[in-house]
Amino acid sequence: MPSLTVWGQRLVKFELAWQRHQQVRAIRHALRLTFPLVFLGSLATFIDQAWLQTTGYYYQTLHVNHWLLQLTLLKRYVRLVSAGTLGFSGIMVAFAVSYYLVADKTAHPTDRLLAGVTAVIGMKFFNVDRGTVLQVQSIKWSANNLGLSGILLGILMGVLVGNSFRWVVQRRTTQEEQLTQSLWLTSIWTLGTAAVGLLWVSAQTVSFNATLIGLLRWPFRLSHFIVGLWGFSALTGVFAWLGMLGLLATTGQTVETAQNLAAVLLHHGWQLPYPLTVHTVISVYANFGGSGMVLGLLLALFLTRPPRAQRRIGWLSVLPTLGNLNAPLMTGLPVILDPLLGIPFLLAPLATITVSWICLHLNWVPAVAYPLAAGTLAPLLAYLGTGGNWRAFALALVDLAISTAIYWPFLKWLWLAEAQGGDEK
Amino acid sequence: MKRRLQGSPVLLIVGLLVLLCIPGFWWQPHQAASVRAHYQSALAPVFLVPGSSATQNRFNALVKELNHETPKPHSLIRVEVLTNGHLHYSGHLRHGDNRPFIVVGFENHHDGYANILKQAQWFTIAFKALQKTYQFNHFSAMGHSNGGLILTLFMEQDLAATKAKADRLMTIASPFNLEESDAEVDTPLFKQLVAKRDQLPKRLLVYSIAGSQTFAGDGIVPFDSVNRGKFIFQGRVKNFTQITVTGANANHADLPENKQIVGLIRQDLLT
Repeated sequence: MPSLTVWGQRLVKFELAWQRHQQVRAIRHALRLTFPLVFLGSLATFIDQAWLQTTGYYYQTLHVNHWLLQLTLLKRYVRLVSAGTLGFSGIMVAFAVSYYLVADKTAHPTDRLLAGVTAVIGMKFFNVDRGTVLQVQSIKWSANNLGLSGILLGILMGVLVGNSFRWVVQRRTTQEEQLTQSLWLTSIWTLGTAAVGLLWVSAQTVSFNATLIGLLRWPFRLSHFIVGLWGFSALTGVFAWLGMLGLLATTGQTVETAQNLAAVLLHHGWQLPYPLTVHTVISVYANFGGSGMVLGLLLALFLTRPPRAQRRIGWLSVLPTLGNLNAPLMTGLPVILDPLLGIPFLLAPLATITVSWICLHLNWVPAVAYPLAAGTLAPLLAYLGTGGNWRAFALALVDLAISTAIYWPFLKWLWLAEAQGGDEK
Repeated sequence: MKRRLQGSPVLLIVGLLVLLCIPGFWWQPHQAASVRAHYQSALAPVFLVPGSSATQNRFNALVKELNHETPKPHSLIRVEVLTNGHLHYSGHLRHGDNRPFIVVGFENHHDGYANILKQAQWFTIAFKALQKTYQFNHFSAMGHSNGGLILTLFMEQDLAATKAKADRLMTIASPFNLEESDAEVDTPLFKQLVAKRDQLPKRLLVYSIAGSQTFAGDGIVPFDSVNRGKFIFQGRVKNFTQITVTGANANHADLPENKQIVGLIRQDLLT
């Protein structure tokens, strides 16, 4: 089809231009740099959530508590690993973005490192325990928003700080290290971000990230109408594509979910008072491999003969993606801030939501009422949630096929762009 | 050759997907039972059972005091069980209230071993009727004086058949050895409670509160009788705590209005 190829060519050209832009290149390198830690952390989270917690899929189906020795010890260890790696990904990104922005302008390690460290310090000032600042107590730093949901903030800090260092370094007349310049820059940033952080903490009781999450929930109360679901999915998708991962968890629908469960347990048959909610549609049919139907991305990745580096990332991401954690693929490829992958990332969930909503609305498939275990394989979510209904399982398989088909052309175009050099100069 | 290599990673992943789905398919037949076993209804009423010579209106002042400082006041439902087993209701459950107080009183509220046994049977009748109406599967309870004995007998004999779970039990000045002041004598009631103590729910949290008027007891119930609760509960339930309250309003009849006890109810029973 000639028109598709034309569009494909345009997209590939845009993608190349985007990837080669100096800011974007620094961000992409930074995200790839965090991949090893994100991979390790995601594996740890997968093991914790799915194998060691009582709400985990493997814990329940394989009766882990009957045969695993030292369950509590293992749980503590794994949670520590997960918190230490994933919980610092935002900071790592801030450091790396700033570092890479300065790296090609100066050979001095001190300049590069100082740029990175200043970005980290700036980010820290937005994550301080409010009570300890406003009263005279020793300052405590909060670690809540420095992880996967803080990658966006990390990118922003890194871009701001890195560019200021880059600007200064570019205008140097000599190539020597200049301590006073660096000192001035670091001081301005440190004092500036401390002031802004203090202002924020005085005026707001919640953190920056929590405010954005509040924005997410606000407009979409009409979730039984499909437009509400589209809006919710699109908004969370945009946030995730920008770098705020791990936001889909809280939706405020628990009252309806509890009433659905009560209706199924207390009455005969499968009649739900709320068959169309964020939980029954999005959590079950639009979350394969994590938000954005990333399991479809994984399957399409291997179907399209990727270059070696991306193939390796794909193999490493298999287990976390099967456990519905999309962070490795998001940072490894990366999907974050990549326009060519951003389109299917938004479109695939919208498509599966539409198909699933229609099937649920027309009562072809029952809605889920049973609680969903963490780490459940994507197609099984619907099957187990409806108490073993094969039509729900079939719908899930159809959704998986749709999402794979949507990702397929975009990945082919992406490998075309990679073959033309990608983000190398 | 190239095409086969291209297809095989996908086949591998799909194969892995199928393999990991097998535990789910294998477990699914047990799922309904598992969900039902872990299900906790949102509604979890707090039963209040008064002692002898008291009616279902005994705790009106107590509930008023407990509702005094709560943003969402608890509903109050009063049930009187008549001697023929019929039930007389008053009060209603407010919409959205998940922790209503349900007071169960008896037409025959006299003291004595035989009456206490009958009152335990009547409590079971009321409990089953309320469970059918309100569809709860877990609850907490407080019994004052004989009310604590009635609740203990219920939990030993009839609770298992109702399939409900008891979360917390608070007994206030409950005479587990009736009013026997001689520590050497075991009353038939005490012997019965000890004999069936293994039927008590294993996850129950029990708080036994003793009042005091003299150094011997709270004016009606001797300390030794309240202390006998340890032979019944200790080691049989998840947690057993015994508290002695002294000072103003610590005599037997005034205990439910005692400020300390109101605080203990808020802290230990209503959490």
